[in-house]
Amino acid sequence: MYMSRSRATRVMLLLAVALIAFFVLHLGVQREAPNFADSLRSLLHAFGLGAANADALHDFVVAQIRLPRALMAVFGGASLGLAGAVMQAAFRNPLAAPDIVGTSAGAALGGAVAIVAGAASQSLLAVPICSLAGALLATWLVFLLAGTGNRFSTTGILLAGVAFNLLLGALTTFVVTTQFGNYAASSDVLFWLMGGLSRSAWPQVAITVVGFLLFSAALLPRLQQLDVLTLGDDSAHSLGVEVVRARTMLLWVAAGLTAATVANTGGIAFVGLIVPHLARLIVGPVHRSLLPTAALLGALVLLLSDLLCRNVPAHWNLPLGVVTSVLGAPYFIVLLRRHRRGEELQ
Amino acid sequence: MKLAATGLAVQLGERRLLIDVSLAIAPGELVLVAGRNGSGKSTLLRMLLGAQRADQGQVLLGARALCDWPARERARQVAFVPQQPDCPFDFRARELVAMGRHPHDPGERDAVVIHAAMRAVDADAFADRPVTSLSGGELRRVAVARALATEAPLLLLDEPTSNLDLEHALVLAGLMQRLAREGRGLLVATHDLNLLAPFADRIVLLHDGRVHADGAPVEVLSAANFATVFRVTASGSAGYFPRTFTRREQGI
Repeated sequence: MYMSRSRATRVMLLLAVALIAFFVLHLGVQREAPNFADSLRSLLHAFGLGAANADALHDFVVAQIRLPRALMAVFGGASLGLAGAVMQAAFRNPLAAPDIVGTSAGAALGGAVAIVAGAASQSLLAVPICSLAGALLATWLVFLLAGTGNRFSTTGILLAGVAFNLLLGALTTFVVTTQFGNYAASSDVLFWLMGGLSRSAWPQVAITVVGFLLFSAALLPRLQQLDVLTLGDDSAHSLGVEVVRARTMLLWVAAGLTAATVANTGGIAFVGLIVPHLARLIVGPVHRSLLPTAALLGALVLLLSDLLCRNVPAHWNLPLGVVTSVLGAPYFIVLLRRHRRGEELQ
Repeated sequence: MKLAATGLAVQLGERRLLIDVSLAIAPGELVLVAGRNGSGKSTLLRMLLGAQRADQGQVLLGARALCDWPARERARQVAFVPQQPDCPFDFRARELVAMGRHPHDPGERDAVVIHAAMRAVDADAFADRPVTSLSGGELRRVAVARALATEAPLLLLDEPTSNLDLEHALVLAGLMQRLAREGRGLLVATHDLNLLAPFADRIVLLHDGRVHADGAPVEVLSAANFATVFRVTASGSAGYFPRTFTRREQGI
């Protein structure tokens, strides 16, 4: 399934159109009121087009709850998709991803610590900054532990990831439960560990969007460098890439994209791992096409998963991370089996 | 421009990988570096590439120390073909070759150079195939094409004929010889002395981390050197390569 650059552009356009369509659908099709027509009216009204809804509450729900939530799904999903694609190139391993190597878990722990320590109420930036610190620390530690020389074996990454995810998850649970009553704690722990979009208000959206723009802009001049890094350190060096500096910088960017999302959504599993694979299946591995496709697909996957969450019966209380896990885990197992076969063949 | 190492020494823990190694490679010559397993060939190549620093000694590219060259400028002078050209992602052959243009600013010449590089190794036929579907020999040719696409006058190749069948190894040897005739300098780390010696201008033998011999093939591949370095007795017409091979079909 390889395609020319113009075909890749057409695929991206198609994905963008689908994204816009599902964005509108997400705003309008949810189990509670307002219905689709009312939501559309509210949306137009929010942009200064058309009259307000008869029920002012509808306008409020769309402008203050649904719109930021949908935007969080789009930019959060895009960030996680990008972060996964960048990590897979930087680690030279198709099974690396922010949720596998512990970056997401580090970000979630950082965010939880900021909230529990009361810093979140002091400054809007406290949670994202602590998330970023957690994400960087976790990525750096896995980087140190998983690599032998400059090679990152699948086994090394997965084992370090398992250890860190368990440890960081346990620490997050501990941090949250020490501070709240049982009931509040259980919902907070669930949010941080499983992820969700229920805390997406405009200020949070702004942080995720700015993070996405900032960090993806840093990737723009490095698209070919990402391709070259997949060849291995010596080859990349011989082609003029300063390997250590480039890899460090790229892992920073991946951690930044993850943190800017996880700080507001908690850890959402599997998006960062699966989305780059789907994108590679569609447009091939060249990062000039792969990164925009991964961003668009990540946005679509998260938007669709949340659309499902918003339309199952309310008493299910379905967390977003459960949906992405149910979708992602089987794919991960298939990947792992294929990867193992590949290793045995060598 | 010349690539010259003087007095290189590297130690890994207790083990001394290289001791006072000096050698140079100039445009227009094909130089083989041979030695027993673990004699430091790959380490030497990595130093000449600037991917590893020596504990002592230095590598000069032209008049300037190799490590003082800006990375992309250096990459336009010295290219590399790795021993195992593997990539975890399924690029097309042409895309892998195109990465050879990374040291250059993008321009209209890129397409021409990439095409010429692929033709030089006869890789046109599989240019659009994903690399996972390529054989070992095809993959090696793609790696050589990528090095050619950099247009660097100096090429370092690590065991380019390992895992190649006799025909493809000969094709590659012929190509390397032609590149040297056209003015490129090639340094080839190899175990395939039998096959490659007839194509080489010079052979460097590494032994116990030192340069044991450096000179024309007939001088270097003496029975005495074989006995010391490889601990084997050589027999044959000229004292080396017992049998020479010629490819029957005329190709590249």
